[in-house]
Amino acid sequence: MFRSLRSDSAPKITLTINGQAVTAAAGQSVWSAMVLCGQPVTRRAALSGQDRSAYCAMGVCFECMVVIDGFPNQQACLRQVAEGMTVATQTITEDRGAPDAGL
Amino acid sequence: MQAFDCAIIGAGPAGMAAAIALAKGGANVAVLDRGARVGGQIYRAAAASPLPDASVLGPDYTAGAALIAEFNRAEITRFTGADAWHLGDDGRVLFSHLGDTHELHCREMLLCPGAMERPMPIPGWTLPGVMTVGAAQVMLKSDATVADGAVFAGSGPLLYLIVAQYLRLGVPVAALVDTTPRQNYLNAVPLLPGALRQAGQLKKGLALLREIRAAGIPQYRFAEGLEILGEDKAEGLRFTANGQPYEIASETVFLHHGVQPNLNMTRAMDLAHRWNPQQLCWQVEADAWGQTSVPHVSAAGDGAGIIGAEGARIAGDLAALNILHRLGHLSEGERDRQTAPGSARLAAMAPFRAFLDRLYRPAGAFRLPQNPETLVCRCEEQSLANLRAGFNQGARDPNALKSLTRCGMGPCQGRQCGHMVTGLLAEWQAEPPEAVGYYRLRSPQRLLTLEELSRFQAVPAPAQAEAAE
Repeated sequence: MFRSLRSDSAPKITLTINGQAVTAAAGQSVWSAMVLCGQPVTRRAALSGQDRSAYCAMGVCFECMVVIDGFPNQQACLRQVAEGMTVATQTITEDRGAPDAGL
Repeated sequence: MQAFDCAIIGAGPAGMAAAIALAKGGANVAVLDRGARVGGQIYRAAAASPLPDASVLGPDYTAGAALIAEFNRAEITRFTGADAWHLGDDGRVLFSHLGDTHELHCREMLLCPGAMERPMPIPGWTLPGVMTVGAAQVMLKSDATVADGAVFAGSGPLLYLIVAQYLRLGVPVAALVDTTPRQNYLNAVPLLPGALRQAGQLKKGLALLREIRAAGIPQYRFAEGLEILGEDKAEGLRFTANGQPYEIASETVFLHHGVQPNLNMTRAMDLAHRWNPQQLCWQVEADAWGQTSVPHVSAAGDGAGIIGAEGARIAGDLAALNILHRLGHLSEGERDRQTAPGSARLAAMAPFRAFLDRLYRPAGAFRLPQNPETLVCRCEEQSLANLRAGFNQGARDPNALKSLTRCGMGPCQGRQCGHMVTGLLAEWQAEPPEAVGYYRLRSPQRLLTLEELSRFQAVPAPAQAEAAE
């Protein structure tokens, strides 16, 4: 269970994570906002579709790629929350809507 | 376009120290860092901690605030949130910043990419809830976010540091599972006299271990056979210690067994690299001042071989003084005179580092996957068995294996699997890692959108007011 020890008076920001309205401190990473609201699944693995979540939280594992405001492949650990931001678990997998499927 | 005298990629201790020295020496410097704030991993948010009392993180962390303040005062062109994705040996740098593509040119380039965690491919390491100790550090420093009741497993100073920090903050810890092999203690004994020359460092380490023992959390030593429990997410850790099997329930498992240079920049520039047999990783070839096989490209800090934050700071300073000499701001004699104390200090720190490397040398069973089903490539989901099949089909080097299996072809561009692939191929062919080599990397070093590429801006160096004194 993740929790915040934050005590500073950073302004609060409202964003949406997979449809859930979430309040986070300005300057906070999108990844930390996700775990604090109980939504640690960032993407589905491209082949198996298995749930994945951040491994390194410092930009080198690319496991935390999410869709932010409609743009896929955004590293949640490197992005900061912003007012009105929409974050969604990335579900780009091999069998989903592949243009050459069945060829 | 007006070129910068020097572009520095990475604003951790090495990059910041170098930028300060270069600016002082009269050079026109641009610094790019991918983070939202400077400081690198070690000094993350050191100048603006979200924690009620950052002193619980220790004096080595809070010391970063002074360096950041000095960096912020210096006359430097700086970009944070700037992800450099092309570094050319013609001095051209392309980077993404706020959704735009930027270009700058430089005469000298200093790479300070820092370290990353050594991946720990135990069964279940890709399940949500399994993270590195570095991740725990980042979340604590940047976002004051902690995990209650986590298991910490592995070996090395950073593992003990985060456990101590959690305990100081009153965060419950389920267990510390130490994988340092018994044999390592014996192997490290001959290096102890050298390490004692830095008795302060040794004392600090021992105090950390005592602090953890005094807290009375469950501790297991000489652990082997680690395995994450759970199907869809982490539910705990299974291991054996002293012949006894154990299972500890937890939804969060933090792993660590050392750090390694973050290779992508130096590899993508095709600089010469060598295998470091003590640290079991690749590192860029560089001389005493950090100059690489391309003379106008230097590298400093952990990204050029693990030396720690204090060493990185000194290495950054030395690289800067050499670059000032190359730019004509310092005579050779003056460079040698000014770099002598730093070089001596680095040499004095080496025996302690060698002791740490020996004591916390990661066991082979944790560096290379043992279970055929365990994923080596997290992005393309290639298991040990898949790679072995590729090898059996004739793939003898990392690039051939990549073409055949897609291992290393995903978004992380081999950052996670690269060292494992070198290690596996070396083992299978009974050859040294140098003979096996590494992936051939190319720009761009990150995912780009065409829209981003279309928004293009040039960053000229500011006109030099008084170029020559």
